[in-house]
Amino acid sequence: MAADRSAAELEHFLAERADHLLRTAVLLTGSKEAGEDLLQTAVERLLRRWRRFDGDPEGYLRRTLYNLATDGYRRAGRWRQKERLLRTGLRPTQDATDDVDLRDALVRLLLQLPVRQRAVLVLRYWEQLTDAETATVLGCAEGTVKSAGSRGLARMRELADDWSDTAAMCGQWGNGS
Amino acid sequence: MNNDVESLLHEGMERFTKDLRAPAGLIRHAAQRRRRRLALRSIAGSVAVLAAGAVALVAVVVPGVADNPAVASASVVKRVDKALSAAEPGEIAQVTVTTRAATEPGAATKTTTAQEWSYGDQWRSVSYSSAGHLVYDEGSSTSSVYTLVSYPTRTWARQRDLGRPAGLARPSKPVVGGHPVRNLTVHPGPGILGPRGCEPTSGAVRLLLQPGLPGLGFSASAPPKTAAKALRTAISCVIFAVAGRDRVDGNEAIELKSRPGSLITETIWVTPGTDLPIRVVVRSAAGEPAFRVTADIAWLPPTTQNLAKLTVTIPAGFRRVSLAEAIGLTVLHLQGPLPKRRPLPKRICLPADAGTTCQH
Repeated sequence: MAADRSAAELEHFLAERADHLLRTAVLLTGSKEAGEDLLQTAVERLLRRWRRFDGDPEGYLRRTLYNLATDGYRRAGRWRQKERLLRTGLRPTQDATDDVDLRDALVRLLLQLPVRQRAVLVLRYWEQLTDAETATVLGCAEGTVKSAGSRGLARMRELADDWSDTAAMCGQWGNGS
Repeated sequence: MNNDVESLLHEGMERFTKDLRAPAGLIRHAAQRRRRRLALRSIAGSVAVLAAGAVALVAVVVPGVADNPAVASASVVKRVDKALSAAEPGEIAQVTVTTRAATEPGAATKTTTAQEWSYGDQWRSVSYSSAGHLVYDEGSSTSSVYTLVSYPTRTWARQRDLGRPAGLARPSKPVVGGHPVRNLTVHPGPGILGPRGCEPTSGAVRLLLQPGLPGLGFSASAPPKTAAKALRTAISCVIFAVAGRDRVDGNEAIELKSRPGSLITETIWVTPGTDLPIRVVVRSAAGEPAFRVTADIAWLPPTTQNLAKLTVTIPAGFRRVSLAEAIGLTVLHLQGPLPKRRPLPKRICLPADAGTTCQH
């Protein structure tokens, strides 16, 4: 039987884990504002049942974040997010910070992936969960996780390969000029 | 390369989010959002029910509204105001006022009724005694001619350009023979300064109430106080919250309640379909002289038959007197037998702002 849990207990938990959960939420939504909104909604859901809540609050919040994100949460904001990404572009640069910029480009590409693929990649490579754990959080089959993850990674690899080719080309142009 | 992409992706995610800090007050904001959501859901629910024309009624207190009445009331009150504004020129407001009042705490209550109509510049009010007898009939025509018929004294009076009742709120006690007339009907007690420059009344809804005495509070400069105007003032001066749904005379209605804690409680029921008020109840708080005023409102089309209700009829055989005399005689009748030590007045004065002069 669950005991009554105090608001102070929830506050204490959030003081420790809210930053990490916000980072997850931002990776799922693509912006700080949308991430905060998503986390706020998840906390609201937890708050609703907190007094009788019996379980791991972080697991619950994480599941809620992913479920909200994959259920089409804030559909209206999605276009704005894409628009921002399109405006930013994914053009490789020619300087020595190529590696850093490739990381940025990968994240930007991540944010353009379908939400389920994005959720799988965030769970796998941000939360460092296994395929089985990821499947549990998302409430789907492990095979689904594997296929979604591999499709997402394939896009990443294409980008990285293009990036390398372009960088090499730019290097040649730079050398020849 | 595979591992490189995965590790680069992880590093990218780390970089992308490294400076993020969760905002303070997550729980507080979540709680606020929840209350807002519940309140909005209640409004959405009301609209959906209206659209469906639901007739089944369960007196349900809308969850969450009590926590945040402003959100719920804002939308409903706005609709009611709009409906009243639209009804103002086009429909006749017929108001049946039932007053149960005691003159002092613990005293027996007395019930009186009145029937009122208002339409543009025209208005009429017919008052009945607690025994159900006609007491007086007063009203004003489109040409600002005021007519008063006093049934107990079988007299009548008429005067042009008298103006309008200034909100039907008594500015001061009438004086008969140098003695203040005791209150005969509703006296809501000390007022509270209303918001947004509203009059310092206990509640603007009492604009609807019968003054209990004929001819009082007239002011030539006062704008017409139709029921629709008075109700618009009421909903702008008193903060109402949606309290739930109810049935009024078999019809579904949304209940709006004034905030608790004031000296009087005001409740308005509006029809979901038209958003027009159909009942107003004003009652006293505990400890005050008990009163409860119920105003049942019907909105009538301006047909010939309905417009005729705005005309004061003078019964055959009634004697015409001056207005001051008609008012004074009616007041004296309503007063009942005066105390023996109080001599009958030789002169009758009305309040200075009543627009009439003292008659010797």
